[in-house]
Amino acid sequence: MKRNTLMLLMSMVMIVSLVLTACQQPPAPPAVPTAAPAEPTAAPAEPTAVPEPTEVVEPTPEPVTRHGGWFDEVVFSAVDAASAVTQITSNAIDIYASGVASDKLPEIEKAGLPRASSNGLYYELTFNPVGPVFESTGKVNPFNDARAREAMNWLIDRDYINREVYNGGALSKFFSIVTQFPDYATNAQVVRTLESKYAYDLEKAEKQMDEVMLGIDGVTKEGGKYMYKGEQVPIILLIRPDSDGTRKPIGDYVADQLESIGFATDRQYKTASEASPIWVGGNPADGLFHIYTGAWSATIIDRDEGDNFQFFDTPQSEYGFSALWQAFNPTQAYMDLADKLAYNRFSTREERNQAMAEMLEMAMTESIHVWLIDGKNYVPYKEGLDVTYDLAAGVDGSQIWPVTLRWADKEGGQLRWAATDVYVDPWNPLAGSNWAFDASIQRATRGSGYMIDPYTGLLWPNRIERAEITAEKGLPIGKTLDWISLDFADEIKVPEDAIVDWDAANQKFITAAEKFPEGTTAKIKSVVYYPKSLWTDVKYHDGSPITLADFIYSWIVSIDAGKEESKIYDASIAENVAAVLENYKGFKIVSEDPLVIEAYSDAYEIDAELDITTMWPEAPYGEMPWPTTAIAALVDEEGNGAFSADKADTNSSDTKTVEWLNYIGGPSLDLMSEALDKAIEEKYVPYANAMSAYLTPDEAVARYEAVKAFKEKYGHFWIGSGPYLLKEVHLTEKVGTLASNPDYADLSDRWSMFGLPKIAEVEVEGEGSVVLGGEFSFDVNVSFEGEPYPADEISRVFGLLTDATGNVIASIPAELVEDGHYVITVPADLAATMEAGAAKIEAVVVPLPVAIPTFASFEFVTIK
Amino acid sequence: MELELDSKAPTERTAPSAAWNTASRVLKYSVVRLVSLFVTVVIGIYLTIMIANMGGYVDKMMIAEIQERVTVQVAKNPANKTMDPATKARITEVQIQNEIKRLKLDQPLAVRTTRFLKNALTLNLGRAMFLTSDSGSRSIRAIILERIPYTLLLMGTSELILFFSTLYLALALSRSYGSFWDKLVIALSPTSAVPPWFFGIFLILIFAAALRLLPFGGVIDAPVPQDFSARALSVLKHLILPASALIISSFFLSIYNWRTFFLIYSSEDYVEMAKAKGLPSRDVESRYILRPTLPTIITSFALLLIGLWTGAIITETVFQWPGLGRTTYKAIGLYDTPVIVGTTIIYAYLLAITVFLLDFIYALVDPRVKIGSGESPQ
Repeated sequence: MKRNTLMLLMSMVMIVSLVLTACQQPPAPPAVPTAAPAEPTAAPAEPTAVPEPTEVVEPTPEPVTRHGGWFDEVVFSAVDAASAVTQITSNAIDIYASGVASDKLPEIEKAGLPRASSNGLYYELTFNPVGPVFESTGKVNPFNDARAREAMNWLIDRDYINREVYNGGALSKFFSIVTQFPDYATNAQVVRTLESKYAYDLEKAEKQMDEVMLGIDGVTKEGGKYMYKGEQVPIILLIRPDSDGTRKPIGDYVADQLESIGFATDRQYKTASEASPIWVGGNPADGLFHIYTGAWSATIIDRDEGDNFQFFDTPQSEYGFSALWQAFNPTQAYMDLADKLAYNRFSTREERNQAMAEMLEMAMTESIHVWLIDGKNYVPYKEGLDVTYDLAAGVDGSQIWPVTLRWADKEGGQLRWAATDVYVDPWNPLAGSNWAFDASIQRATRGSGYMIDPYTGLLWPNRIERAEITAEKGLPIGKTLDWISLDFADEIKVPEDAIVDWDAANQKFITAAEKFPEGTTAKIKSVVYYPKSLWTDVKYHDGSPITLADFIYSWIVSIDAGKEESKIYDASIAENVAAVLENYKGFKIVSEDPLVIEAYSDAYEIDAELDITTMWPEAPYGEMPWPTTAIAALVDEEGNGAFSADKADTNSSDTKTVEWLNYIGGPSLDLMSEALDKAIEEKYVPYANAMSAYLTPDEAVARYEAVKAFKEKYGHFWIGSGPYLLKEVHLTEKVGTLASNPDYADLSDRWSMFGLPKIAEVEVEGEGSVVLGGEFSFDVNVSFEGEPYPADEISRVFGLLTDATGNVIASIPAELVEDGHYVITVPADLAATMEAGAAKIEAVVVPLPVAIPTFASFEFVTIK
Repeated sequence: MELELDSKAPTERTAPSAAWNTASRVLKYSVVRLVSLFVTVVIGIYLTIMIANMGGYVDKMMIAEIQERVTVQVAKNPANKTMDPATKARITEVQIQNEIKRLKLDQPLAVRTTRFLKNALTLNLGRAMFLTSDSGSRSIRAIILERIPYTLLLMGTSELILFFSTLYLALALSRSYGSFWDKLVIALSPTSAVPPWFFGIFLILIFAAALRLLPFGGVIDAPVPQDFSARALSVLKHLILPASALIISSFFLSIYNWRTFFLIYSSEDYVEMAKAKGLPSRDVESRYILRPTLPTIITSFALLLIGLWTGAIITETVFQWPGLGRTTYKAIGLYDTPVIVGTTIIYAYLLAITVFLLDFIYALVDPRVKIGSGESPQ
């Protein structure tokens, strides 16, 4: 009997424990705040919110002699994000390069792991602008009125969302431009003023919403509820519970807030595929939704976000096919300005920046979307790793990681790199996998003409020596770095012998004289100078030195694939090629040794560094030594494979499979090996009509033989000139190994200058109370790692003065006293206009080495 | 159901005509059975296709998703940064149309579903719409074949261990009804209400995170060991936790089920009689309990074997195991109808063949069963 009782008890305990464990509550969604905060809490995160600096790479006592990557091997594998932190603490992996969302930030902190950060998704509310009453359903839609959309800014406490949903690891967001990035910093005064104006204010939101709602025929407010035709006005929210899961609590919070001012809500939780046909694919006039919880991503440091307003808010957007975008109804002035910014129709940067400032203000009034949060991703890694990361793209999205990531003060060793996935799609440089997981590995194998600055988004010379940019007078272009020169010319004539296009039918170049018999001009001329050692020092992983044939072939094949007469024509590439050629005005090899290339274009960016044309032998999805692409192209020509998924699918039938070309595995390898043997046998020179000037049949065979030997050794065709080579590939197991490339042209420490982001640390000091009437000043101390921040690395320092009304009343430039010390002086006449009470000076420091400005404020009291 | 129990002796028939009659009966039965099974498969597959397409609504969803995806890809591609918005809009439109054409969404649903059905029935598995095999091929055959070995390894190991061990233990328990072990199994059988992935998480926490004895997931060490034996050991090491999770989650309930099943047969009069006659318990088990239960055991085993094909979706996900379950799950999420149909048709054919063969196997293991006699059971 005792035994039975024992058994019964035991089983009961077990069942109860299992049930309790299974029923453990997930983190509770945020509750609606019961009371408005006393003060507006609109300010974006202070400098502490920017990425944690990595440890400084101490100079090694002996000069570095190592070439290639810092690690002997990088072993990569697919690991689920949920266990990433645990796996690092358990010593199973060293870094989780894909990063985790900010909901994991407490776990990372608790584990005491260092972390890098990057931009995550950014979140917003998209409104249905049809109304004020949907004819199809007879329901009210206040968001037809810009004032109702504007009121939503006051209704939502962005800081609350950041705190409750993102554990404080994100940034409040008011604009479509990324918070704290270049356009934000440039317009700091405007954005701070607007952020203050649109800070959370429930009463103000309700008051403005009342004005809108009670202005709609038939709407009344009874007992705090908006009523229409005898029922409470419902707002339908399309809430996305999928993706990273954070849009669900956001949607619920917004719905709660709407209910708190008198609406009923219909919360429809729909996944991406369920919601798409309604919000982007459907007709907004059907009235199936009022608000959609949207999210977007920005994975580069975009130095010109002027096109965002047209993209997000006007019918002229690339989203113009959608009935929703066609229904967006901003003012004509708004659309005109958005258009100007999108096409950069300005003569100077100042003019452009002024337009941006106006646009930001108008964007808040229109509030086609209400922006909520700039999310952050966090990349946890093991203590002892030196990690340089891109401020937007993090670790795996950065170009810099393969040449900077290392064990502190140690050369060699192994890194266990984990990511959410790998080998997602086939790898080929022309139209292969565009997944970030694959691209991060590919970057380690890839050489390039330039290196993207991880902290500013500007370009540095990697394989090139220097560049000269000549721009047409009147373009708003400027430069920041010294390795490039910039000048302006009234007119830039394109030389007649410049190569502008490719004749796929006759396999020959088309010159400017042939394409533009009347002559033509360009807006930008780029002259890029390569070092003399290029032809001797830079070698591919198969041991072959890079040649001019690689440059020329790469250009031809990229254009040829988009030409209908080509044997490798690909409709999915064609439109892109046509678009590029529209603005392309040609290139000319000025000198072959050392290599100097002139290029002409009508397309430009406002930073001269981004206007160079390197013509490096690469394509969007990988480096492109000519032999591997030539044999892949042979497979494509024969109809057995295709560079793009589109072409492979289109040419496949029920009886024939055309392979999406994969350089690293699958049936493509055999097809490419066959083509390689054939190429060797026939001494095949691709595009012989044009390429014979740069490549002899014997040289071609030597390159093929090198590729063959590489394939036999490593089992794949993924050949680059980067600091690591792809040593092992295990596709189904999702595991692979990169090995350091000892023949890499550069020493391993070449990019050590990017040890950590030089984000300024700022302190403001001054009198706690000042008497209005006379001038008064504040000291601004700017430092980095305890040392004064050099003045020549600071772009601007200024102060935003806020008086007792809560409004930013002035932007005051700071005066340099010495390195790291500035003074902001409030002149007497300005002080005289201030209201007495609590005031604030916010110093804004915009450094040159990083795109992120630092904000630091000091509160004081003004007395009349 | 044409399975009949025939207890009559063929007293009035001559041997050749009896053989002919039997052959004719079996042939007729086989044809009818095969046709009916084929019709069932056709209906089942077409229903699968229609469900996978939500009666056509998936087209609408897919087109909207294509529009959304392509627009963002074109607009936010850094390579297009210098392109003006009008050009980007034009490229977007062309790429959307290309994608719609590639996925054949421009064709009527009836045409596509008929093609899916025809290809499925002829085992022309064709190409996936979105998924690629691990080696980068869109061929569904490649997608399935790559995943099959790991699925069979995980499911085969766990299910076979589970099946035979629980069968053996159940038989043993049926002999000791009411004992401590019997009660323990009854007490623990509710643990099977917990899904295997839940046990999986616990096992990971204990053996990978805390004790660091076994890997968190995956199928092999990274870097992959160079020699074969080390590789095999590495795979085995990775197999332990997921297989254990699958076994533990069904272990006690399976024993409980079999033990109850055997108990019913153990209390038959003829078993009691055999025991009373003093036959050794091993003989009683094999002749009087196991023998009549063989059709049920074989059915269960056969269904288990074809069930291996389906994989274990969530457990595979928790352990990052590259099995077919994850592929199917991914295909469902992407509405990749050809892949869903591909995996379903193979399962359907396996099931139909198994059901067909089982009829014959019953007749072989149980002399009372006669195929297609058309007579009522006695």
